[in-house]
Amino acid sequence: MTEFFIRRTLQSVLVLFLITLVTFGLIHAAPGGPFQMMLAPGLSPEAMKVQAHNMGLDQPLPMQYLHWLGNLLQGDLGYTFKNHLPIGQVIWPTVENTFVLMGVAWLLTLIIAIPWGIYNSTKEYSLSDQTASFISYIGFAMPTFWFGIILQQIFSIKLDWLPLADMYTMDKEGQLGDLMMHLILPVSVLTLSFLAAYVKYSRSSMMEVLDKDYIRTARAKGVREGKVIYKHALRNALIPVITIVALDLPLLVAGAALTESVFNWPGMGRLFVQMAVAREYSVLMAITLLTAVIVIVGNLIADLLYAVVDPRVQLGKRGGRSA
Amino acid sequence: MSEANMQTSAIIPPVDVQAVKPLKRPPGPWRTAWSKFRRNPYAMSGLVVLLVFVFCGAFAPWLTKYDPAKIDLMFANLKAGTDGHLLGTDEVGRDIFARLLYSARISLTVGFAVAAGSVIIGTLIGSISGYFGGFIDTCFMRLVDVMNSIPLLFLNILVLAIFGTEFRYMISVLILTSWMSVARLVRGTFLQLREMQYVEAARAIGVSNFGIIFRHLLRNASFPIIVNATLMVGAAILSESALSYLGLGIKAPDTSWGLMLTNAREFMLIDPMQSVYPGVCILLVVLAVNFIGDGIQDSLNPRQKMSERRIDRWRKSFLKSKI
Repeated sequence: MTEFFIRRTLQSVLVLFLITLVTFGLIHAAPGGPFQMMLAPGLSPEAMKVQAHNMGLDQPLPMQYLHWLGNLLQGDLGYTFKNHLPIGQVIWPTVENTFVLMGVAWLLTLIIAIPWGIYNSTKEYSLSDQTASFISYIGFAMPTFWFGIILQQIFSIKLDWLPLADMYTMDKEGQLGDLMMHLILPVSVLTLSFLAAYVKYSRSSMMEVLDKDYIRTARAKGVREGKVIYKHALRNALIPVITIVALDLPLLVAGAALTESVFNWPGMGRLFVQMAVAREYSVLMAITLLTAVIVIVGNLIADLLYAVVDPRVQLGKRGGRSA
Repeated sequence: MSEANMQTSAIIPPVDVQAVKPLKRPPGPWRTAWSKFRRNPYAMSGLVVLLVFVFCGAFAPWLTKYDPAKIDLMFANLKAGTDGHLLGTDEVGRDIFARLLYSARISLTVGFAVAAGSVIIGTLIGSISGYFGGFIDTCFMRLVDVMNSIPLLFLNILVLAIFGTEFRYMISVLILTSWMSVARLVRGTFLQLREMQYVEAARAIGVSNFGIIFRHLLRNASFPIIVNATLMVGAAILSESALSYLGLGIKAPDTSWGLMLTNAREFMLIDPMQSVYPGVCILLVVLAVNFIGDGIQDSLNPRQKMSERRIDRWRKSFLKSKI
């Protein structure tokens, strides 16, 4: 167990290191160099050189990388090009907003999906099962942002029941009721796209368990059907579902670039898109890294959790697993 | 003597060797699969819908007399059906129906190009990794880990923001972010098969590594690769529309369903139907492709219905690049 833990952690650190390399390399592969636009345009060549020197841009790339990595490890993400704001200050508030949106959508999804999937596993090909299949097909094939736009048209423009976009109405900042109203549409969009996968997941996981010998034994002993399902099968069926949930947890923070853009939700996904259009490379770098860290740590935790919850797991064999 | 002969021939009529048809060869795996596929109504309707879209894309100039890029403010915001504009015109007078047709061209090109590219790269990396194992395998698998740890939509946006949003860059970046599933699949098959006796036999009679990989091992992975590629077409179309919607993909004067949605969104109040059409097109194409993929999967391996593995693949390719 300890060995597995250590190996898995080292592996994650390695992947993380590689990601910093990839991100840094990508940014510096930009034509004309990434920081060209950081330099004020009207400067004389001499002044430009001085400024480049001050920013460390005249050093060889490996040195720049080490410098950047060193700052990163100290928690210094750098500054934005345009207003020279500390990047941390730009990102953190959006993380919180994303967390609110994704958290609500997430919980709602789990509350609906797991019981629904389990119910469907006992009633194969019933109306409810067919509906779930239908929703999953549509959910997988539909462009999420389009669904958002359609909902906006129906509920905000036609019926005028719900706010069109944003997180709060002007001058109602911080009011819970207002926040709830603004949450309804984006949360429905996200829930629908998550729902498809999770209902199917819990259903297939439950069906697999119901096929097992110990379930047959329990039935043969004369255990009531309800007890078989909720006592014997459910616990085992939930293990893979929990793992998947843990694997997807990073999405909570990585956010939903598309949904956030459609609903103008001030989260990290929307920030990423805005910064991409504005070519604020250092912010893009910071967000990419931040999400990568979260994904890797999430995977690590999921793997370890899985090993703890299910002692049958052969630790060595799951080593290379990741989202 | 001759009488005896006569008697025999009376019992067993003389056989006309010419007339006997040779025993029919049992149908090959492809033919069996096709005959099963043909009986699957979902798969067949998917195929029909896809072919309709391919037809529309291929013959777009013959199906409409309007140029999708021609701006004419005199004819802006026409209602559907006026002046031969089947679905009306948008805010700058471009014919909506023509734009839809030409968008099919772009979307399908992206879908198939990305699927083909990912299959080639994924197969190469997967077979080298799975066949040779050892250090090469470790390197490639860490690379897969790195790719899977960065939210793919972010990575797409990042690369396009850096290199510019040209068509070839978009195709390349979509390929670079979707080969991983094929690589894993091929690697898995190879790991399973490379110790088989027939591979050993092939090696013993002096078949080269290259020959073993392509003639003996890869064929066993071809069916799952095809299923995977089909699903990838849908995912690529969704990614393209998402990127174009965000302003990082197809740009005017070219046209794409995602781009049409961006325009339509700004004119939601004037003409709500404009944002309905492109979304329906995306939904239909992706749904069709997914049905086909499912049909292939079922026809090749009917017992393995919606297995956990398959949902897992769906989840990865769709959820990650969609929200």
